[in-house]
Amino acid sequence: MNTLVRGDVLFEQKLAPASRSRVALFSEATQDPNPIHVDDVFAAKAGFSNVLQQGPMTTAQFARLLTGVAGVIWIKTLDLTFTAPVYPEDELILRAEVVETGLAVRCDLTARKTDGTQTARGFAELGIAS
Amino acid sequence: MNKSLQGHTYPAYRLRPDRTLARKFMSALGDDREPETVPPTYLVFLRGETLGVNLFRDLDIPREKALHGGQRYDWFLPVSFDDELDVIAHVDKITEKQGKRGAVWFADVSFEYRRINSGELVLREVTRLVKQP
Repeated sequence: MNTLVRGDVLFEQKLAPASRSRVALFSEATQDPNPIHVDDVFAAKAGFSNVLQQGPMTTAQFARLLTGVAGVIWIKTLDLTFTAPVYPEDELILRAEVVETGLAVRCDLTARKTDGTQTARGFAELGIAS
Repeated sequence: MNKSLQGHTYPAYRLRPDRTLARKFMSALGDDREPETVPPTYLVFLRGETLGVNLFRDLDIPREKALHGGQRYDWFLPVSFDDELDVIAHVDKITEKQGKRGAVWFADVSFEYRRINSGELVLREVTRLVKQP
């Protein structure tokens, strides 16, 4: 039964650093040929201090966590804007907070580093078991 | 950025979720279990690059200037490993904004995933690509 109310936090989850090997594996798994995720020299040329973790990895982590929330039977919409670079050594904190309930539950999503830097923001709409 | 591509629709390419890639996808997220279902965001625009939708080339975004601005997924039906999908990419919008270092370009590109037998729309994905100065 849907007992969620506005302000409920579905999760606030700290993720361990992805590591370079998992970032490289994500590139392989998504068939992403961009060297910026695996090549230090290329990343430096593009103006970054290290290879970049993929934005879609953050999206995928939100999807994984949302599908694990009790009562969630369906993600209808997942919408994220990437707001800052993420590096493989970064710990991220992913948070989902309910802002609307009704036929679907809408929650605000944020990802931030442990120093407070926001790296993604957006929302999800969820189908909940009734 | 190649603004003439705005409004362009690519020919459909065909895709079937691959269990090996799905396993790698979940392992990259730190979950080494065998995926029983297709991970929700396994379907991602990047898979189109080798199948005829080379956005970085066609939009004239050199890799070293490319950033990923965001993603939106709208799911309409579940996707299974048995589904074969036709994917149609459409360049929705190309915009330019002046930044501190020069022009920054944004391209919103949508991808519709339909079951080949029924034509049912299972997913719409919109990705926002950014070209830095």
